[in-house]
Amino acid sequence: MAYSRDEIKQITDKVLNMCKADAVEVRFSGGERSATRFANSSITANLIEHDQEVQITVRYGQKAASATTHQFDDDSLKRTIDAVQALARRKPDNPELMPLVKPPQTYLEFDAALPSAVNFGPAERARMVKASTDICEKKGVLGAGYIPKFDWVDGSANSEGLFTYFHYADASFILTCRTPDQTGSGWAGTTGVKDIKNIDAEMLTNVAADKAIKSRKPRAIEPGNYTVILEPRPAARYLSLMTNSLNARNAEEGRSFMSGKQRGETRLGEKVFGDNFTLRSEIGNPILRQSPIGQDGLAARSITWVEKGVVKNLFYDRFWANRQKKDPTGTTPNMSLVMEGGTTSVEEMIKSTKRGLLVSFFWYIRPVDQMTLLNTGMTRDGLFLIENGEIVGPVQNFRWNESPAVSFNNISALGPQVPMHTGEAYDNPGTALVPAMKLEDFTMTSISPAV
Amino acid sequence: MLRREFVKTLGATGVALYASDLVGDLIAQSPKARVMESRFKGLSDLALSEARRLGCTYADIRFTRNVNDSVAVRDRIVTDSFGFGAGGMETSAGFGVRVIHSGVWGFASSPFVTEGDIKKITAQATEVAKASAVSKRFEVKLAPVEAYQDYWSVPVQQKPEDVSLDDKIAFLMKINEAALKVPGVIRVQSNMAFDYEWKYLATSEGSYLEQEIWRTSPGFTVTALKNGKAKSRTFSVAPKSAGYEVVLNAKMLENVERIANEAVEHCTAPPAGVGLKDLIMTPAHAMLTIHEIVAHPTELDRVVGYEANYAGTSFVKTSDVGKLMMGSKLFNVTCDRTLEGGMCTVGYDDDGVKSQRWPIIREGRLVDLQTNRETAHYIGQTASKGCTFATSWRNYPFLRMPNVHVEPGPPGSPTPEEIIADTRDGILIDGRGSYSIDQQRFNGQFGGDAFWEVKNGKKTRMLSDVTYNAITTDFWQNLDATSGKESWEMFGTTGDAKGQPVQINHPSHGSPWVRIRRIMVGAAFS
Repeated sequence: MAYSRDEIKQITDKVLNMCKADAVEVRFSGGERSATRFANSSITANLIEHDQEVQITVRYGQKAASATTHQFDDDSLKRTIDAVQALARRKPDNPELMPLVKPPQTYLEFDAALPSAVNFGPAERARMVKASTDICEKKGVLGAGYIPKFDWVDGSANSEGLFTYFHYADASFILTCRTPDQTGSGWAGTTGVKDIKNIDAEMLTNVAADKAIKSRKPRAIEPGNYTVILEPRPAARYLSLMTNSLNARNAEEGRSFMSGKQRGETRLGEKVFGDNFTLRSEIGNPILRQSPIGQDGLAARSITWVEKGVVKNLFYDRFWANRQKKDPTGTTPNMSLVMEGGTTSVEEMIKSTKRGLLVSFFWYIRPVDQMTLLNTGMTRDGLFLIENGEIVGPVQNFRWNESPAVSFNNISALGPQVPMHTGEAYDNPGTALVPAMKLEDFTMTSISPAV
Repeated sequence: MLRREFVKTLGATGVALYASDLVGDLIAQSPKARVMESRFKGLSDLALSEARRLGCTYADIRFTRNVNDSVAVRDRIVTDSFGFGAGGMETSAGFGVRVIHSGVWGFASSPFVTEGDIKKITAQATEVAKASAVSKRFEVKLAPVEAYQDYWSVPVQQKPEDVSLDDKIAFLMKINEAALKVPGVIRVQSNMAFDYEWKYLATSEGSYLEQEIWRTSPGFTVTALKNGKAKSRTFSVAPKSAGYEVVLNAKMLENVERIANEAVEHCTAPPAGVGLKDLIMTPAHAMLTIHEIVAHPTELDRVVGYEANYAGTSFVKTSDVGKLMMGSKLFNVTCDRTLEGGMCTVGYDDDGVKSQRWPIIREGRLVDLQTNRETAHYIGQTASKGCTFATSWRNYPFLRMPNVHVEPGPPGSPTPEEIIADTRDGILIDGRGSYSIDQQRFNGQFGGDAFWEVKNGKKTRMLSDVTYNAITTDFWQNLDATSGKESWEMFGTTGDAKGQPVQINHPSHGSPWVRIRRIMVGAAFS
């Protein structure tokens, strides 16, 4: 069970009253994290984790320290407060410490914790696994999947009177099907869903199983530059590679792709990407369940980062904004991320492709060069060759080395947006609205026979 | 229910429920190293008897308390650990109960350590297992294990908590000052992190085990900007299971100026270009390659498909044991949970299996794998190698890699200097960099932290834009030189992610200097 607004208010008020420091900030995080994991078509882990914690930060002038406790009785809190107050007094001044955010902050209200997700229990998850693995058995594949569920509260308060509360609940169903001969693999998934009714495990299993069967015995083709069609999952991972570059401080200090020619300059206002690349944070988006509470408790607001290829805004944290005499952005570039889509379906993208690759999944993406956003990664779980508008068969996986700074100038078609997790794992918030993308001249550098 | 109890206890002082850091209090009341007299013995027996009453065929309960303490200084400012603009400390304690019912695992965990909660969480773990049985296609099989009652701890010369915060900050500040004096340096970050873990495991098979582990990981990174290019250089310090002595012995101050100058030089270093080169890898770099394309593909749970949906499977098959040639005759790899200082060195794993040292590759041939009680039967073994771990009390335990070391060459092996002198056209690589590997650990692309050209037996100038591509078995087949034990060093990582939900492991990887002949370099930048 997640904690109510009143319950969190009680605990934060109590900490604020007990502290004797110049300024205090309390952050609460707690609830239930559950998960069911299966492999070889049988459950290998089914679990429920309960947790709660309070982080207490105290300040004396520009000195600050923080500590965390998982116990909220008077003795525990007093012990933690005494320790953190003693610690803070001994700290050197931090010149970058900003004053606490003051109320009022107007947060958008929306319901991010629907009963169907809150009550999504181990038995229901196990039945979902059974329905999925029965299909796997019929189709002659092995299912390996993960069903994470969160019922969580983040709250905070500070001695200026600010109070925030955000309760969210969601679940995902992700699945990899593999053929018993280990030559075929397929992926499907729905992530970060607020209403469990939107998870169709049977449909997803059919997609993953069929993809595994179709991807059996892939043949090797030459590395080189290809037209690629990224389904929404690899598209979401690829999109996430550029959000960190939107940090203004990194750009102005000369350490980022968004840095200008001279130190202190940025590429703000420049047309860096193609006309069809628009990216924004949409706080309060009805599909995304991400928090309306921004940095340090500032109210997050919708913001356009890139419009038709032009960089419209960079993220200014509170310290850097103050130093540069700008307004803090509040909204961080990974919040409620929406990439503008199009109307071209994946099938239509395939039809319009003379020679290219259909990509089901990207794996193990890592940066190679931060200044150019050059990244490397692998394809996985279904890679198909397209010739003359048709899929002609599975091909062996590729390693790629490519930069979204280049690719987002080479978008030739976009699909409708769908919610998709942007992170490598599925254990933190990070679902964005992302379209399937068709990218030209994508650099595949070497083959991997791994399936 | 939990929520209501929580509300009731607010404001209640001295209430036995949710007493302050109850695990900490119970530890204080329990005599160390006398596990059968510990207060946790009674609490454990409560869970185990409750599980038995509920029809479980196996149960264990694991209490843990973790204290994470870290200090970081960036550009002369003491920066945050937890996003609060301050240094911070985190204490976390609780317990997890794992059961087998109906042939299936169930797990539940809680930070509330009371008799009532222990019963409730045990019942919840059992309910989870029973619910899971609806989709069961095979039953959990556990290799037998001896019952132990024991206490084990990491040897520590100086506990990190005995060093004042002032001294820690002063030390890190000196690194900042020294680095920022070097022209071209625009940023320096220095840090030290300490992790203390106490745990008590009791199993329905009669084991009662108490362990204490300290881990220390210091380091610093310097960033330089020159000619419009920013480059960073990190001084590699091996994280170790040990105390503050790791900081004192790391020679960080002695190396600041060199590392800062190398960061500046890296900004103007020419690209390595594309082509076949001989690679000379320091142990600080080789650890990464060992981790990714030796240690991971030899985890048996991956081999049999348990990680198929996330971390991936393996190119290794169970039938490869005893047959597959993984490298040249010089390639000898050992798993080791016993070597002092190893980040994965413990007395017992979270199944209660005693720590061991065993070979997995001998003269290039795969001879064994990493196993735990749940997976040993897949390769016909009747005993576990002891590889079950959970990151904290919250998490369910599963197979995690031990320390995995490449053995040094035999007496008479070349020194690092001799390896360089014997190389006509090569690149020397130091430290960790970009790395990416396919889901079966076959196609890897690795970078490093710093690179030098080796021409006609001499280390000449720094290079930039170096990555190399490795097809695992081919890569290790090209191993043609290993230095001796005098230059063998152990490095490691504090962030090995695996599992769903993702958990973090901290393995060490020891290695001599090694040379790999004729490897493709620079393709990422072509």
